[in-house]
Amino acid sequence: MDCPVCKNEPMIVLELNEVEIDYCLSCKGIWLDAGELELLLGSSTETVEFLNSFTSDDITKEKTHKCPICNKKMEKILVIGNRKVRIDKCKYNHGIWFDSGELEDILGMRKLDNKNKVLTLLNDMLGKKIKE
Amino acid sequence: MWELIRANKRKSLFLFFVMGICLLVLGFFIGGAYAGDDGGFIGLFVAFGIWILMSMISYFRGDSIILMMSRAKKVSYNVHPQLFNVVEEMKLAANLPVMPDIYIIPEEAPNAFAVGKKPEYCAIAVTAGLLERLNRDELQGVIAHEMSHILNRDVLFMTFSGVLLGSIVFLSHVFLRSMWFSGGGSRFRSKSSKGGGQLQLILIVVALIMAILAPLMARLLYLAISRKREYLADASAVRLTRYPEGLACALEKISLNNYEMKTANKATAALYIANPLKPKGMKLSNLTSTHPPMDERIRILRNISHGANFIDYQNAFTSIKGKQNIIPSSGIRERKKINIRTSTAASTQTKSTKKSTRDLGDLMRAVNKYMFLSCACGLKMKLPPNFKKDKISCPRCGRENHVPIAELAAMSGMIAIDEKNDSIQNNEQVKQDSFVYNRTGKGWETFSCRCGSPKQLSPAFNKASFVCNKCGRKIEIKGP
Ligand SMILES: [Zn+2]
Ligand SMILES: [Zn+2]
Ligand SMILES: [Zn+2]
Ligand SMILES: [Zn+2]
Repeated sequence: MDCPVCKNEPMIVLELNEVEIDYCLSCKGIWLDAGELELLLGSSTETVEFLNSFTSDDITKEKTHKCPICNKKMEKILVIGNRKVRIDKCKYNHGIWFDSGELEDILGMRKLDNKNKVLTLLNDMLGKKIKE
Repeated sequence: MWELIRANKRKSLFLFFVMGICLLVLGFFIGGAYAGDDGGFIGLFVAFGIWILMSMISYFRGDSIILMMSRAKKVSYNVHPQLFNVVEEMKLAANLPVMPDIYIIPEEAPNAFAVGKKPEYCAIAVTAGLLERLNRDELQGVIAHEMSHILNRDVLFMTFSGVLLGSIVFLSHVFLRSMWFSGGGSRFRSKSSKGGGQLQLILIVVALIMAILAPLMARLLYLAISRKREYLADASAVRLTRYPEGLACALEKISLNNYEMKTANKATAALYIANPLKPKGMKLSNLTSTHPPMDERIRILRNISHGANFIDYQNAFTSIKGKQNIIPSSGIRERKKINIRTSTAASTQTKSTKKSTRDLGDLMRAVNKYMFLSCACGLKMKLPPNFKKDKISCPRCGRENHVPIAELAAMSGMIAIDEKNDSIQNNEQVKQDSFVYNRTGKGWETFSCRCGSPKQLSPAFNKASFVCNKCGRKIEIKGP
């Protein structure tokens, strides 16, 4: 699977403490297959509510990317929490693309993440200092 | 058993020849439609030529073409020891002369097929999804079913019938297209006015009817053969495993699956244990399917009582489908009682869905030739085969890790070391300093021997050491 942003750059899979992500070494973006975000967030009513709050954003001028699985154009999704994050989601539900830092932003939003365990792990995985 | 195989062969050969005659007659009339009575023989000859050519290709290259189309990869013992053990068990039970080659297809849909011209040279391919979903008893049922196809010479036969069907469909298609484009045969009419027109007109009409009917007939014959063979393979599987519930459960799990196989197509569909293509339409598919309906196969298996011999399967079959002989009479005559065994305790193992999803992912990656590097900091990096740099700096700790891509490229077909084959072959080579590899986890791991030769450990690798097949070094594996 190649990075949807850097095109011919193959993505690698990182695994730490049973958490797995597809990662691009050159742009540091993250790809999550369908269902993996749910797996990361844990199944709770809050998670479901949060995922339902995703709204498609067709006015943005941000460059669109192609889904690395089906190669069709992905749609822009606006996630609004304590800040706005715009992510790319495959219309055929193959997964979601996060530019560098976007997944961390989303995990940090609204205490979704149970005591930020996943966020801590993700930061650890990518060698970032944990900001309190 | 031999008599049974022969009876089965005879019956199939008969249907096979009916299909062949279908093709030749079609060729004759198409030729006649084009060029009068002389053309009939030319058409016959062309049809025969297509048949022979395609049969030759499928006889000599069929197995590898099918395996290649399904993207199946040959694997060694350590990739899935349970699979190898089950195959070996069934090989002994079925009296197969050699151990079949074992292939894994990197697909999530659970399915399996067997190829092989004869029992001396054969292969069994299963999908990664099948291995992840089935327990030992269920896997045994599926393997026994495939083994039966090999024993019954079904594979060769199904390939040949498939080719024959393909040739008939191809010929009629070309003919009907050409009729369409030549404006409904005006070209023939002008020729026929020169003389002998009456006969030619009749030939054209017959050819048209044949071109429409022959593919349908051939297809029905083909379906009749392939369905009967599925039932027979189920019956033989019960006999080999003495545990009908295993196969029944496996079929149940397989039929519950929602994934369509990306690597199967109409030509190969009949080979799989379950139809790999999800029917697009409604119930009509029951009529035109190469496979008997799953729920019926399961019901028959669950209806088996008393024993696991052919007669017991036939009785269960009759009680559900009515009087119809699935098993050749020689199989029925074999009255030796075979008792049904109880399930093995080892079958009840549960894995969390999270772990199971990850294991399935890793198995598919291993089959797809990923490398599994473990950084000293504990981060696991799984690199796809198109990763082309020979160094990778760990995103977690920044350490530089060596990626053995050049060495890997030099080797072909490496998926997990097979200490059974690898170490024994080169035992006489010079012994050098031994080398210790510290395993970081229980998963897949790729590393290089000091000589540079890449090694891959599967989750199942549990030996304390093995010998490098390149340099003869002893490599000690220290567990986590
Ligand atoms: Zn990238
Ligand atoms: Zn997609
Ligand atoms: Zn590291
Ligand atoms: Zn070596």
